[in-house]
Amino acid sequence: MQGTGMKSDGLKSDQVSGLMLFALAICVWWLNRAFPVGSLSDPGPGYVPLLLAIAFGGIGLMIAVFGGRSAPLLAIRWPEASRAAVILIACAVATLALERIGYRLSIAIFLVFFLGVVERKKPLVVALVAAGFSLGSFYVIGDLLRVPLPRGPWGF
Amino acid sequence: MKHIAFAVIGALAAAGVHAQEVYPGRPLTMIVPFPPGGVADITGRPTAAALEKILKQPVSVANRPGAGGAVGNAAVANAKPDGYTLLMALSSISVIPEADKLFDRKPAYSLDQLAPVALISADPVILVVHPSLPVKTLKEVIALARKQPGELSFSSSGVYGALHMPMEMFLHAAKLKMRHVPTTGGGPAITQLLGGHVTMTVGGPAAISSHVKAGKLRTIVSWGAERHPNYPEVPTFKEQGYDIVYYIWAGLFVPAATPAPVVKVLREATRQAVADPDFKSQMAKLNSPVQYLDAPEFAKYLDADAKRLAAVVKIVGKVGG
Amino acid sequence: MQETFNSLMMGFSVAFQPQVLMYAFFGCIIGTLVGMMPGLGPLAGISLLLPATFGLNPIVAIVLLAGVYYGAMYGGSTTSILMRIPGEAASVMTCVDGYAMTQQGRAGPALAIAAIGSFFAGTVGVVGLMLLAPTLADFALRFGPPEYTALLLMGLFVLAYMSGGSMLKTLAMAVLGLLLGMIGIDVMSGYTRFSFDIVELGDGVGIVPVAVGLFGISEILLTAGQAEPPRVQQPTMRQLIPSREDLRLSVGPIMRGSLLGFMIGIIPGSAHIISSFVSYGIERRLSKHPERFGKGAIEGVAGPESANNAAATGAFVPMLALGIPTSPVTAVMIAAIMVHGILPGPMLIQQQPDLFWGFVASMYVGNVVLLVLNLPMVGLFVNLLRIPYAYLYPCILAFCILGCYSVSNSMIDVWIMLGMGGIGYGLRKFGFDLAPVALGLVLGPMLELSLRQSLAMSGGSYGIFLVRPIAVVMLVLGLLLLALALKPLLFKSKDWRSKVGLDDQTG
Repeated sequence: MQGTGMKSDGLKSDQVSGLMLFALAICVWWLNRAFPVGSLSDPGPGYVPLLLAIAFGGIGLMIAVFGGRSAPLLAIRWPEASRAAVILIACAVATLALERIGYRLSIAIFLVFFLGVVERKKPLVVALVAAGFSLGSFYVIGDLLRVPLPRGPWGF
Repeated sequence: MKHIAFAVIGALAAAGVHAQEVYPGRPLTMIVPFPPGGVADITGRPTAAALEKILKQPVSVANRPGAGGAVGNAAVANAKPDGYTLLMALSSISVIPEADKLFDRKPAYSLDQLAPVALISADPVILVVHPSLPVKTLKEVIALARKQPGELSFSSSGVYGALHMPMEMFLHAAKLKMRHVPTTGGGPAITQLLGGHVTMTVGGPAAISSHVKAGKLRTIVSWGAERHPNYPEVPTFKEQGYDIVYYIWAGLFVPAATPAPVVKVLREATRQAVADPDFKSQMAKLNSPVQYLDAPEFAKYLDADAKRLAAVVKIVGKVGG
Repeated sequence: MQETFNSLMMGFSVAFQPQVLMYAFFGCIIGTLVGMMPGLGPLAGISLLLPATFGLNPIVAIVLLAGVYYGAMYGGSTTSILMRIPGEAASVMTCVDGYAMTQQGRAGPALAIAAIGSFFAGTVGVVGLMLLAPTLADFALRFGPPEYTALLLMGLFVLAYMSGGSMLKTLAMAVLGLLLGMIGIDVMSGYTRFSFDIVELGDGVGIVPVAVGLFGISEILLTAGQAEPPRVQQPTMRQLIPSREDLRLSVGPIMRGSLLGFMIGIIPGSAHIISSFVSYGIERRLSKHPERFGKGAIEGVAGPESANNAAATGAFVPMLALGIPTSPVTAVMIAAIMVHGILPGPMLIQQQPDLFWGFVASMYVGNVVLLVLNLPMVGLFVNLLRIPYAYLYPCILAFCILGCYSVSNSMIDVWIMLGMGGIGYGLRKFGFDLAPVALGLVLGPMLELSLRQSLAMSGGSYGIFLVRPIAVVMLVLGLLLLALALKPLLFKSKDWRSKVGLDDQTG
């Protein structure tokens, strides 16, 4: 690793993030080969993405190289990461459910999961919030503003 | 308690059956593959409003602009063929698959993924120049372009778009070369010309009318088969000895796999919609002539138009890259 | 002048008709409510209500839509300040310091200053619109692709002032945004880029799902799992009102932001996001305590919020004077009056004076309505913070999913939002600033298009940027800004970045 002369006590956070950006730039460059680059006076569809990929890769490398002073990677704590993962997965499940079992049901289940299972609130409150939110928001957005929100196979 | 449960299940079941039997049982979406304010949009909105009255269901208009209409067209071509997604497409609908073929790429959609329902309107386009340009007739435009080959420029609604094709027909017929400045729609194309950033553009009669009246744009020639009723003083290419005709038409489509009974309902509804007095008066206010054709005649019209445009695409070839 | 005054009086007589007044009120209320939904912004609000205006007379229709527009802009700032969820691209800057103020228990002053700033900016905008519309409209038309390219580049250069952290990281995020903007169909050639065969991506990545994900969702991911939930705020009446000091600090940013926003607003195109970023950059540069920015500086709310609203009004200049849409929002409004057979264009002021002046007057009315409506509501909105976080965040998540879905009925948008939430969470853990991503995403496609349009105009010669005065002025200005920002890096001279904390209590 380019430790830039710093004493090495493991990877630094900026070195990791800089190299990740560099890797992403390589991916973009790879994907971009499908498009003609054109010339300076007549840039093709691949021209600007190529420039950006080069800039991105360059900046990524610079962040990594100058990143010797940043906090060590291990100093970043992830106390909330497991909750964050739960939230993202629950959102993904709700999104998948939206067009299959309809808006009102999926949002109600989503809220019951969070309030009841994750936050352990009183069942009555959970039921009231979940039902109130899903029905109320459907009424406002779906009925009043006429956005065709997904309905389940039961027309609900 | 049991009774209630049964009643709820019964109601749900009934609702399910209900939704399957009667079309349309829920709101429809009309996709307009161009930004708001363009030809497709101002034709689509009154049509949607008229359909709403006849179908007794809301018909909401959703603009899905991008790449001369390819995005919206593809969205409908790949939509669920249940009759709840309609497309108000312009003549460019047949051009895009041709362009895809040209680029040898995975086509966004193919024309046979869409079934025509009805032709709503058709309007020839008109060549307009900035008033500072010292030309008043087609001959003078051609003479100027010959004197400065590759120096004049035109703006369009996007590569292979509805306003690019007629210009290419003209350039090919008159053997001229010009610079092409594509934009993201008919409105931006006119804005470029109003600001004098390009020499000329092609515009729909409705889109240019207020600017022509105010003297901010000058009309040169029309692509119509005959003179346009609102522009009786503008000659046609045919009169000037060029056999080129181009109409921007707007037609209603559905995904090809839409069941025949559903299409029939839509055809019938559209037939009534174009006869609706509100629709007629709105289209008249917009200077947009109603040119109704039912599905079979429209299919024939579309076929001929598609062949003509495919030839132009081949002539234009690949741009960019 | 006399003539303008008389016309305006006629306009007010139109605007004060009970029916028109009622619709202005109605529009502002609906707009505020729609804008408060995460993911729903002015464009969504206007598009959703457009069909409802077909049956109204044209004046009422346009007054209603203008009210919705204003209301939604303000409603969007409310969610930005209270929950860090931007309703549209231009609110992104409001999120940064607005939400930081909320976390310090100063949501009330932030909301109040946003309302006052919006009111002032709206009024400046309307006065400008009334007096200068025809003149400015001609100026606006001179913005062709080369000028636009220069403007966008200038907007990007301002980024150098944006971040208190590492300039390299700021640039990296801006380039990431620009790269995201490359997704979709290339207007110039018709190629589809980086869409992975997903049809919806042909249209590019929308700014709203990205902004909601990067800002709103990532904030929830960071906060919800904390061992100690954020404490419930119970502000007293005193804490709701901006202090004398707050007001003093906000006067300058509001005035500068209003002028700047109006100028950028009249330029055709949808680069309004630049106005809020540039305003933020300017305020930070002018501030005696730039280190406070990003940590709850009230100037960081006042400036961008005013700029954003003035730009919104400025956008009406070319729309009314020339009949050309300068943004998706004005395009919908043009459609709304065209449906009534009125052709917006150079002749509108002469042919439909009651429409033009009625519209102008009702914009004054709308501004007052919004202020009257929203200042007392600040207390109400702040009460949202009394809800324990355990209840609040699941509801915000549900709202975000709903809002992102409803904008274009697209599941892809919801997925983008969630993906961006996860990415934003990771990037923030690594100390990256996310606002530049939003700027890059909006500017990317416009910059590429206008650059290539310029070259198409000139037949491939870059000389086109040097022979057009407006473009030259803006490029020079942008390069100057960039040089000023880079100077401390190159010459290692001391600037505020290195002095942070040293002269905290001077000024």
